[in-house]
Amino acid sequence: MIYLENISKVYSNGTQALKNISLNIDDGEFVFIVGPSGAGKSTFLKLLIREEKASSGKIKVGSYDLMKIRRGKIPYLRRKMGIVFQDFRLIAKMNVYDNVAFAMRVTGSPERIIKKRVKEVLRLVGLEGKEKRKPNEISGGEQQRVSLARALVNQPDMIIADEPTGNIDPELSFDIMKLLVEINNTGTTVIIVTHEHDLVKEFGGRIITIDDGEIKSDQKYPARYHKTEANKT
Amino acid sequence: MKIFYLIKEGFKNIWTNRMMSLASVVVLVSCLIITGAASLISLNVTTLISKISDDDQITVYLDYDLNDLKSIKLGSQLSKISNIESYSFYSRDDAIKQYEEILGNIYESMQDDGNPFGNAYKVKLADLSEYQSTVEEIKKIEGVSSVSDRSDIAGKLTKLNYFVTIVGSWVVLILAIVTLFIISNTIKMTMYSRRYEISIMKSVGATNAFIRVPFIIEAMVIGLVSGLAAAGVICGVYMPVRTAAASIIGFIAESTFTVDQLMLPIFAVMSAVGVLIGLIGGSISIARYLNKEGGEIIGW
Repeated sequence: MIYLENISKVYSNGTQALKNISLNIDDGEFVFIVGPSGAGKSTFLKLLIREEKASSGKIKVGSYDLMKIRRGKIPYLRRKMGIVFQDFRLIAKMNVYDNVAFAMRVTGSPERIIKKRVKEVLRLVGLEGKEKRKPNEISGGEQQRVSLARALVNQPDMIIADEPTGNIDPELSFDIMKLLVEINNTGTTVIIVTHEHDLVKEFGGRIITIDDGEIKSDQKYPARYHKTEANKT
Repeated sequence: MKIFYLIKEGFKNIWTNRMMSLASVVVLVSCLIITGAASLISLNVTTLISKISDDDQITVYLDYDLNDLKSIKLGSQLSKISNIESYSFYSRDDAIKQYEEILGNIYESMQDDGNPFGNAYKVKLADLSEYQSTVEEIKKIEGVSSVSDRSDIAGKLTKLNYFVTIVGSWVVLILAIVTLFIISNTIKMTMYSRRYEISIMKSVGATNAFIRVPFIIEAMVIGLVSGLAAAGVICGVYMPVRTAAASIIGFIAESTFTVDQLMLPIFAVMSAVGVLIGLIGGSISIARYLNKEGGEIIGW
């Protein structure tokens, strides 16, 4: 569960990115964070993954109190979440298999378990047979699938996706979103930051609008592809 | 933590980033060669000077009418002068014997009472820089007639030794600082080119130690390879240079170190310095990135 109470973030240059934000995200929720550029969406994500520390307020992710967490514990917090970036952030010198396996090696998993699990997630994201390809040898959509597979491989409690469809074609965007829905259907919390309103309307769920560092709305819409719908497609 | 995996990653990184590794090796080898050569020249010149100084003895001439017994007794007064390292008696008979061949027929007539030389002492000083004051002290001893004046050579040798030691130390020190500066920039450049990778590692939950170990292994291996290569070049060049110098100035051959004497220390010191530079440079440079997060690492 994610819990924020009166969270504010002021950067060292004086910019106030978030103002007194309070919200709860329960386990297993499917949440869109929307808003214009510079609204504070990215800062919100950075606070969740503890890339930034809030200036004031309370913020908890699972059992971690992010206002008090020690630097050495941050990697363990991040292992509880899978992060998907707009620019994929794959390591160019590693092939598809190693890019995914890498996230498990970091945790010290045995190679035997890594092999089995990486094979499973690559099948799940539809990249079977492309294990040996380097990132520059596959399409943007496929690169985002690798990024998704890497986020999933440690069976995280939540997936945090920052504009996951920002760098890919609309058709492929739809596929990526469907994958995220499928992941959510297994009980994983999914938080997506996006400005693509069409996709938000299409997929529904909880939609939190942030503007000028404040929550302007927090509403639930019919989740069209969730549960049974996702299984049909 | 899987230490073998991390060590393997360190070695793999060298090959994967081979152009950067090669650039680092070239820079490191060049710097180590220059610093190593300067140290070697300084060491050899110092040895050469000290060898020349060793051969530098002064002669203390005694009064002509001082008999052998009194002359030998005078030695005990020489031993009281602290700057005298050693002395040996040089009798009037030894002195005339030197000229036996030149004198030919008249040599016999110059024995005993006919000997124009007095007794003498060959004296070696501990510190040449105190030459003048020691000579003054010797001159005060009753029975001493004169002292061979080599103050000019003594002064020059002292100055040269001082110059080589001071200048050599400064040259090596300056080169070492320049080397560290160049190497630290090379490592910074390597880290900069890998900052994206570091940010990804952090985002998937890698601990600082997990990120740090392969980088440091990589830097140490590059340091070791560079140290060995530099030592190889120095040893390879040293031998012909020494031979060439010896063909011009003969005593260089006896007064400088041979390659066999230096090879082991050169390889040991160069490898150790290379590994140490890798360890320190790598640790400092990676620490800069480990204290940052995400976009901050990449510079967004």
